[in-house]
Amino acid sequence: MSTPAYPHDWFARIPAQAADDLPVLPPESYWQGVWRRLRSNRRALVAGCFLLLVLLFTVFGSVLWPVDPAKQDPGILSRSYVASRTLPVAFPDAWQVPMVEMGEPVAASELLAPQGLQVVSATTDAVRLVWQPVAGATNYRIYRMEGRGKGYGIPLAVVPAQYTGYQDRLDVHAQPYRYTVVADDGVDESAQVASLSVTPTAVISLLDAQLQGLVPEDAVSTDREWVVDLPSHPLGTDSLGRDMLARLIAGGQTSFFIGFGAPLIYIFIGCLYGAFSAYVGGRVDEWMMRFADFVIALPFLLFMILLRVAFGIGAGESGVAALIVAMVLLGWPMAARLVRGQVLQLREQPFVSAAKLMGAPSYYLVWRHMIPNVMGVVIVSLTFAIPGAIFTEAFLSFIGMGVVPPVPSWGSLCNDGIQSMLVHPHELLYPAALISATVLAFNVLGDGLRDALDINLEARS
Amino acid sequence: MGIIPAHMTRLSNIFCLVFALLLPVGALAQGVDAASKTITLGFSSEPPTLNSMESTDQVSSMILAHVKEGLLRYDQHGELAPGVAMRWEVTETSARFWLRRNARWSDGKPVTAHDFVFAWRNALLPATASQYAFILYPIKNAEAINRGELPATALGVTAVGDYELRVELERPCPYFASLTAFMTYYPVREDFFRSRGERYAADAKDMISNGPFMLDKWVHGAALSMAKNPYYWDAQDVKLNRIDIPHMTSDPQAMFNLYRNNSIAMTGLTRELLGKAVELGYPIRSFETGAVYFIEINFRPERATSNLKLRKALQAMIDSTVLVNRIIAIPGMHPTDTLFPRWLKGVEKPFLEEYPPPVIDHSLKRARELMREYLDETGQETPPPLVLLTGENPLAVQQAQYIQYLLREGLGIEVKIDRQIFKQILEKMRAGDFDLVTAGWGPDYNDAMTFADLFTSWNENNRGRYQSEEYDRLVRVAQGTNDQKVRMEAIAAIQQLIADDVVILPSYENSGVYVQDPRLKGVVRSIFGGDPNFRHAWIDDSHPAAAAGATTP
Repeated sequence: MSTPAYPHDWFARIPAQAADDLPVLPPESYWQGVWRRLRSNRRALVAGCFLLLVLLFTVFGSVLWPVDPAKQDPGILSRSYVASRTLPVAFPDAWQVPMVEMGEPVAASELLAPQGLQVVSATTDAVRLVWQPVAGATNYRIYRMEGRGKGYGIPLAVVPAQYTGYQDRLDVHAQPYRYTVVADDGVDESAQVASLSVTPTAVISLLDAQLQGLVPEDAVSTDREWVVDLPSHPLGTDSLGRDMLARLIAGGQTSFFIGFGAPLIYIFIGCLYGAFSAYVGGRVDEWMMRFADFVIALPFLLFMILLRVAFGIGAGESGVAALIVAMVLLGWPMAARLVRGQVLQLREQPFVSAAKLMGAPSYYLVWRHMIPNVMGVVIVSLTFAIPGAIFTEAFLSFIGMGVVPPVPSWGSLCNDGIQSMLVHPHELLYPAALISATVLAFNVLGDGLRDALDINLEARS
Repeated sequence: MGIIPAHMTRLSNIFCLVFALLLPVGALAQGVDAASKTITLGFSSEPPTLNSMESTDQVSSMILAHVKEGLLRYDQHGELAPGVAMRWEVTETSARFWLRRNARWSDGKPVTAHDFVFAWRNALLPATASQYAFILYPIKNAEAINRGELPATALGVTAVGDYELRVELERPCPYFASLTAFMTYYPVREDFFRSRGERYAADAKDMISNGPFMLDKWVHGAALSMAKNPYYWDAQDVKLNRIDIPHMTSDPQAMFNLYRNNSIAMTGLTRELLGKAVELGYPIRSFETGAVYFIEINFRPERATSNLKLRKALQAMIDSTVLVNRIIAIPGMHPTDTLFPRWLKGVEKPFLEEYPPPVIDHSLKRARELMREYLDETGQETPPPLVLLTGENPLAVQQAQYIQYLLREGLGIEVKIDRQIFKQILEKMRAGDFDLVTAGWGPDYNDAMTFADLFTSWNENNRGRYQSEEYDRLVRVAQGTNDQKVRMEAIAAIQQLIADDVVILPSYENSGVYVQDPRLKGVVRSIFGGDPNFRHAWIDDSHPAAAAGATTP
């Protein structure tokens, strides 16, 4: 023992005092610190809660809302909201359109308005009209206007003049219509018209009721008065009369299955690859990383198409398997690079050297030092990979390479919805909002996690 | 005109024809200009070729119908009317046409019988490779010439002097007169054709017209313009001075905007635009395209659909009324249970009035009974899955999904929807790689035979390989005589056979909707002879819209 090389009054004994007064940080493990830092990040917390809700919605939604997402009802296409209702069943019946002999045709300017235009019956299954013949008419043109707009509305049909009646079955709703009947000379129509307004009563057609299992297949109209109860559709229906809520739930299941499934697999593979590469080092590392670079350079879409062919996926079969395989095959290098960098850095850290010096075996080094220190990076890349995968699925389903009908996914719902975006915006709005919000939430949460997992960030600030 | 993709019918071709958002360059350009008797239109694309011997598409057919005239033409009621020929006579073995002496080309030279002989021979040359050569096959030796087995001079057509044309027929062809209104039958003047060589019909100056209009400007990919032909024999009946086509875009929305701006005279409507047009209070018009759509069935023996009981069950299950009225929901579409459309002529009245289609009992009960019989017959527990081949466009997919739902809920059949582009659909149909396919057929000429011979064993377009000796025999009967009564009886028997054998599942007769400037009158929408046709069109000055100073129509 030699004399210390510093003046002895540099250090002084602290007088004994109560331990409580000492300004010590409470003992906190790494993960506790992470949780504390995450909690203080309100944005990340909100995003996390939102994701939890969406997850619950897709997982348990189908239990709470047990509606078949593939069930169609041609009676209620593209509605933004449908209340539950009780409707009589309309049995098909033949209706003979009244006929007369045709007269000598005259020019449009001489044709009069049809007289006696009246409704025979009006239900959402069929609206039947009859009128008196117009002398000299070649055809009658029948128009229908919704509500009280200007003009005649849509041209329903041109019927030859021997018929003096018409049955309208074109997507009739229980709402006011104005029908206009006008005679023509084969080219141009008369300026004299007859019109009348009618509001059809709501019914459900026999076939629709039978397909939904509400009326037995051998039901006869003479048995009894058939009336069926139909469920409500709180978020409306799509262009084939399917329940939007049920489709959003089912679509979420598909999207999340792919969104979680693929990244979990490829990040795991990437971790192993990157860790091994860095751990072995040297020429092996060089080669392995060049291979990873090569995989990164492969174009995803092209690969996806090739895989579909290779898998023999054609004729209306789901491309989900190919999609996941393609994502796994092409997604891992990112994670591998990240983990490799981290491990290379860790390998040179003094605490690793110290552990090695003390004779720690490899498995201990990996288990105690490598994995916990790499975990942060891995979790962050996972939270960014999930929205990426959801988005990829949405994109591929949107271009028709993902799921096949009738299975929905959020992407395919958007694809269906965009067709009628201008007329029925709800069909696009709901799935698009869900995709956007979910992807955004994952990104915000990932951002928060990255900050929370980085212990140095707090130290620096 | 051949097989057409579901919903890409002439309807889309009409968008083609009629329709564009380029800001009106000359802000004065008007859809309808009463002072100069000019109308302005938009096209979806420019005509691929205006050589009448080679054209196949709708845009070309529309322009050619205005700048050229065949022996016969269609009038404003869709009836055959004298064109270059004043009179004609068709027998079982021959046809004669007497040409008018005042028919002239746009350079003033007369149209002679030699021009027709030259055009027909030339169209049949193997080197011309005209896709529509087959339409000339009723003429003697035409098929052999087309296959290169005989020289073109062997064609059974002779010019007797300048103004009479004699045609020998290969077989009876009572509808031969209507064929001569088709574009492949239009005349081509030899000296002009030879003087232009490869350049023939490649530009406005390389064209010569004998129709009511002549092409006076063709800026490739951008604009076309047709002016009244002063040499046309019936020029006093042509009321328009000019048809301008300065807009070319395939975007129906852009076309609609042009129409709203009053820059074009008419435009086709999609289902979405239809709602918009109704909202704006425009008068909406509809027209028949003449095409019939159906689900074609694969009869190859390895396919489940080769079983009659299964096909019967499908037939009972699929009621096109719901499909057309609810799912497609475009006004004017007519649900049908037969291959033959309503406009086809029978002996005297429309064919379907004389021979109504067989009544098919579409009911769930009957469909399920037939399904059970099918399963018992084949000893299966559950029905086999079926592949439904269909197009890519949203409406086709929607229809396919409805059928998928119908067959799953109704009969327990799992349907796989195979979405493909049109070219690929044709390829898969040819290879037989489907069970069901949504298909359509546009007529080439005005006779039931254009539909009836579709499912003969020798027709290459019979992609489902339906084979029936009885069917073939009936077609031969109908082709073998000029007696309309006998022919229509045979066609009616074919109609019955199609329903009994479930050769196809008919869906609907196609139609389109469009808006047209109310001052423009007399525009003919026709199934044959180029659509729309402006030969008889005129501008009504007295219409209120004209007085109001041509604001939005």
